[in-house]
Amino acid sequence: MTDTREAARPAADGGEPPNGSEFGVGDESGDGPRIEFRGGKWASTVPLVFFIVWAIFQSGVLGIGDTNGLVVGALIGTTLGMFLVRGDWKAYADTIFEGMTQRVAATAIVAWLWAGMFAETLQVGGFVEGLIFAADALNVGAATFPAAALVLCGLLATGIGTGYGATVAFVTLFFPAGVLVGANPVLLFAAILSGAVFGDNLAPVSDTTIVSAVTQDADIGGVVASRFKYAIAAAIPAFAAYLIAGSVMSGVSLEGSAALRESANALGLVHLLSMGVVIATAVAGRHIVEAISWGLIVAVVFNLLFGLSSASDIVAFTVTEAGSLSGLPVVTVGEAAGVGGSLYSGAVGFFPLIVLTLLIVAMAQVMIRGGGFEAIQEFLLNRVATTVRRAELTMVLGTATINGMITINTAAEIAIAPYIARIGEKFNINGYRRANILDANTSALGYIFPWAGGVLVGYQVMVGPDGLGAEYGTDAMVVNPIDVVPYVFHGWFLVAIFVLAAITGFGREYIPDRASEEVSRA
Amino acid sequence: MSVFDKFLAGFSFRGSTPDYAAGDVLEVMVTGVEDDGGVGGGTAIARIGDSTLRIEGAPADAVNTRVIVDVESWNETEHRGIGTYRETVGESAF
Repeated sequence: MTDTREAARPAADGGEPPNGSEFGVGDESGDGPRIEFRGGKWASTVPLVFFIVWAIFQSGVLGIGDTNGLVVGALIGTTLGMFLVRGDWKAYADTIFEGMTQRVAATAIVAWLWAGMFAETLQVGGFVEGLIFAADALNVGAATFPAAALVLCGLLATGIGTGYGATVAFVTLFFPAGVLVGANPVLLFAAILSGAVFGDNLAPVSDTTIVSAVTQDADIGGVVASRFKYAIAAAIPAFAAYLIAGSVMSGVSLEGSAALRESANALGLVHLLSMGVVIATAVAGRHIVEAISWGLIVAVVFNLLFGLSSASDIVAFTVTEAGSLSGLPVVTVGEAAGVGGSLYSGAVGFFPLIVLTLLIVAMAQVMIRGGGFEAIQEFLLNRVATTVRRAELTMVLGTATINGMITINTAAEIAIAPYIARIGEKFNINGYRRANILDANTSALGYIFPWAGGVLVGYQVMVGPDGLGAEYGTDAMVVNPIDVVPYVFHGWFLVAIFVLAAITGFGREYIPDRASEEVSRA
Repeated sequence: MSVFDKFLAGFSFRGSTPDYAAGDVLEVMVTGVEDDGGVGGGTAIARIGDSTLRIEGAPADAVNTRVIVDVESWNETEHRGIGTYRETVGESAF
């Protein structure tokens, strides 16, 4: 085919265009790397390799899904690398700062803060209860419960952008209702995880969506639009698979559908509009902060207008003694003074991931300055990714491998993003395509394996003295994580689609095909 | 590009060797340097999939930068072309 496009600079929307010097581009002159390591350029990989080993041990071996724990691993790894530097350690310390101040990290952090506030405001506004009302109104039965879980959990995850949050919400409220109706517990849990994969992959406010876009120089709205075809191509057969499997895999009917109605609230469905505002404005090309802000305003208005939450559910100043201001709707009296509400908890919930991201990009920068990044890249380009098809397969399988090992998927995504960018750029693969390859396996594999963070957060709701098993007094409410692996259909189909896409060229776009819209901030 | 076009973009099976034509103006990432046996370290090239575009007149430090190129000629049999550097518009993502 012949491609003709009058190239033009992308229209800016308020951010400065990316400056390659901020990403270490062009600084690796022919004089060699800026930091000399004992043991050569490969020693510059020690911080990141140590972190990956720590992450595998913590999350994969011990099953501890604590992002703060990963922060400690990153701090130790970064410190270890310093002892391997030849000469003055100042250059190493400067590189840490250089990495942390990259625009790619700042962009993701800003988007996360706004996304966190929006997600939590939807949660306190009864969005989950609205979706449960929809399930009840549709008269969902045992056989169709898993398919309904895929759709409704997918909607929630797309709205709030966090697959983990959607999993916890649905396992808490939707899962027991389905088991009581007679749905197969394993299939139902797997369907909830599939919905989480769908939303984590597609939502403009998802942490993985944001990382995949900004690390590949692509705008978030454009990325969401461009990956829609892959998401739907996986979701439709997954929906069919849950309908079929739901009719042949039965559960034990324990009670009936009364449990559904206990928590149902039709008004919560107004947040489909809040969600739609964010998606529509982001895809239309508005700045992601602006898009989420509009969605947040709409969500707050709906919450207060329809009585879905109180003002103090959104912002709360807690004081220990009643005073002249305690009559304000956002001031409450409690045992301990503090600030709370959905805006607070939504933003604060991202703090550990923000710190971890800063450390990971710093470690990546050490690799770039020390020559390790280039050494690995050259190996891949010379030995593995020698054609565009092999390059895309390398990107797909590499992302899958890293995500299979580091089970907190956003951390894995940040770690491998630079390689996806560089390998893809070497074949002029478009940023949208690179972002889609990066995010598909990151989203999918974070919810499939028994040690994956997404699976574990759902499992935690089922076990323990306060878990569903204890609450309902039946083992039917507890699903062994290993049992769900084959049934997370949407996740598996998404992985398969991208392997096929790399082989066949489906969805492949090159950089000359089209420019991303202004990206410096997504 | 309209919102509708954004959803449909890339909805096709794309080959490994895209071809262009003289007169096309492309934005490409400069991916390397092709040794042409002369002085000056060779000519900048952009590998687009498994096709190759030689870029005459590119700066010496053009590798890993995004540039605008005027395509002067293209051989669809070999999937190779020659273009002229116009300007630098960006850098690598990392």
